[in-house]
Amino acid sequence: MGSLRRRLLLGLLTATILAWSLALFLSYRNARHEIDEVLDGYLAQSTSLLLAQLGHEAGEIDTEHVPLLHKYGRKVAFQLWDRGHTLLLHSANAPDGRLSPVLEGFSDSLAGGERWRVFSAWNDDHTLLVQVGEKAAVREELGREVAAGLLRPMLLALPFMAALIGLAVGRGLVPLARLQRQVEARSPHNLTPIETSAPAEVAPLIRALNALFARVSSLIENERRFTADAAHELRTPLAAIRTQAQVARAATDEEGRRHALDQVLAGCDRAGRLVEQLLTLARLEAGQLRDGGACALRALAAEAIAQVAPFALAQGVELELASGAEATVAGDPDLVRVLMRNLIDNAVRYGGAQGTVRVAVERTGAEAVFSVTDQGPGIPPEQRAWVWERFHRVPGSAGTGSGLGLSIVRRIAELHGARAELEAGEGGRGLTVRVRFPAAPV
Amino acid sequence: MRILVVEDDELLGDGIRAGLTQAGFAVDWVTDGVLAQGALKGEYYGAVVLDLGLPRLSGMELLRRLRGAGHDVPVLILTARDAVADRVSGLDAGADDYLVKPFDLAELAARLRALARRRHGAATPVLKAGALELDPAAHVVRLKGQPVALSPKEFAVLQELMLNAGRVLSRESLERCLYPWGEEVESNTIEVHIHHLRRKLAPQLIRTIRGVGYLLPRGGAD
Repeated sequence: MGSLRRRLLLGLLTATILAWSLALFLSYRNARHEIDEVLDGYLAQSTSLLLAQLGHEAGEIDTEHVPLLHKYGRKVAFQLWDRGHTLLLHSANAPDGRLSPVLEGFSDSLAGGERWRVFSAWNDDHTLLVQVGEKAAVREELGREVAAGLLRPMLLALPFMAALIGLAVGRGLVPLARLQRQVEARSPHNLTPIETSAPAEVAPLIRALNALFARVSSLIENERRFTADAAHELRTPLAAIRTQAQVARAATDEEGRRHALDQVLAGCDRAGRLVEQLLTLARLEAGQLRDGGACALRALAAEAIAQVAPFALAQGVELELASGAEATVAGDPDLVRVLMRNLIDNAVRYGGAQGTVRVAVERTGAEAVFSVTDQGPGIPPEQRAWVWERFHRVPGSAGTGSGLGLSIVRRIAELHGARAELEAGEGGRGLTVRVRFPAAPV
Repeated sequence: MRILVVEDDELLGDGIRAGLTQAGFAVDWVTDGVLAQGALKGEYYGAVVLDLGLPRLSGMELLRRLRGAGHDVPVLILTARDAVADRVSGLDAGADDYLVKPFDLAELAARLRALARRRHGAATPVLKAGALELDPAAHVVRLKGQPVALSPKEFAVLQELMLNAGRVLSRESLERCLYPWGEEVESNTIEVHIHHLRRKLAPQLIRTIRGVGYLLPRGGAD
């Protein structure tokens, strides 16, 4: 990209010089034209004066005494021809041959090794031809002087002009320099909006920066809260483990000690599960979906059910997979299995003992829908939006979950472009969780 | 001393109940705020151990309701949140003490004893009545400097009487202090404990106020 200042300076200087050059060229051309007009006028005037003079006293003119009145006089010559053939009279500096082969009006010629501008005229009875010529060098010299006169002040002014442009560019870029200083001076923790009264060109940049700051800030706040929440969530199982261990150490009866030690192990399992889910979520938050995977939802659902089955059996909960066709979607089978397992596990855990948990895979239009329905207490509509939040537990539910399962489900769904929804189960009882996957093109 | 533990985490609640029982407390354990509110209406507790993140009725809200109703039971908050703002808002809501998870059971028990002591206006940790001394932390009773071996229940009865020295305690209120839910109380069990205490310490130590209850004189049995 290079420097903005250099680009502005180069552009402005080039444009200025080009504009000046064009003006110079036009002035020069104009001046040359005026010079030609004026000198041609004098040439014609001199010719007619000579003719008027010679008409009467041609024979008496002494060529040797034509006086030199001006420094340009040398550059002007004349010839007087009798009937156009015999040279009667000429100025001292005139060439030997005819000044111009053109015998009437203006012409440019080459005579005696010089270039001339010549005016030719006849007297009234067409007996005498007068040719007055002026060396072309005169006009070129005049033109050069005019051009030099025009060019000199411009060349003198150019450095000033460049300096002024430099100053103006510098002043114009001050808001950018100020912005640069402000951003440079910031600590990485300062994500407050930049406050500055910026010109219209810089304001959008600052607005964009501030919007970025706001997004980064909310991201960091989210991460910070997650870390804090995670640490706090781990404290309860740790407190339980510690307490139970102390109880076991102080226990005087074998039964009490065994119970407390069992509880210590259960606490370790719980803390382990929580850590596992935290890691899963952390990986999911950072991760991108690998391309090219395919998920046969029905087959995966069957695997997930098989994984949860022992737990369901222990809880006295019936699991069933409704019959239907296979539906395949694009995605990561391992993640989709985790999603399914979380939902089925939740349904078994909170769906009420002795109930039935129904799992279904259906294809509806452009979507493949995975759903889990339980017969438990359900979730009140006003609570449904909250359950996807990390560490949120439905008030009144048994306190054994981590509050992370549905966050994991939502994140996996997001990665697959799927939508996860909650609604009341069959007949308004229990809970149905649906995950709508965009079906893979068949 | 009877303690109400309000903790929704099954493992932790179970552990606290077992640990405090080992430390000589009579412990009732409930898992949500609404149950806790009911328990506090019906029973007399020496102190409450309160978790803040409770289902149905949050710990903070329960605390506000208790204090709003003029209930003066000492409350120790148990929570995972340790930011200063959290502690301040807990104490301002009417809590008497604060313990952050994970904690030490011995510390929890010591803080509960301190809360009970302060409630009865005793500044020193060792309760005294004449020549009788009771150290709740060390679980030791001394008479004229000599240790006396007592069963946990006898110790608890004596502690309750010494905490309330100079006041008459009914047999029912002593029972409520000593026996959590689920423990059967036989009709004459308090009389048995009192009888043993008199035999091990001094016959005149505990006065019987017929038809009302028992009293330990402030100056002890001189």
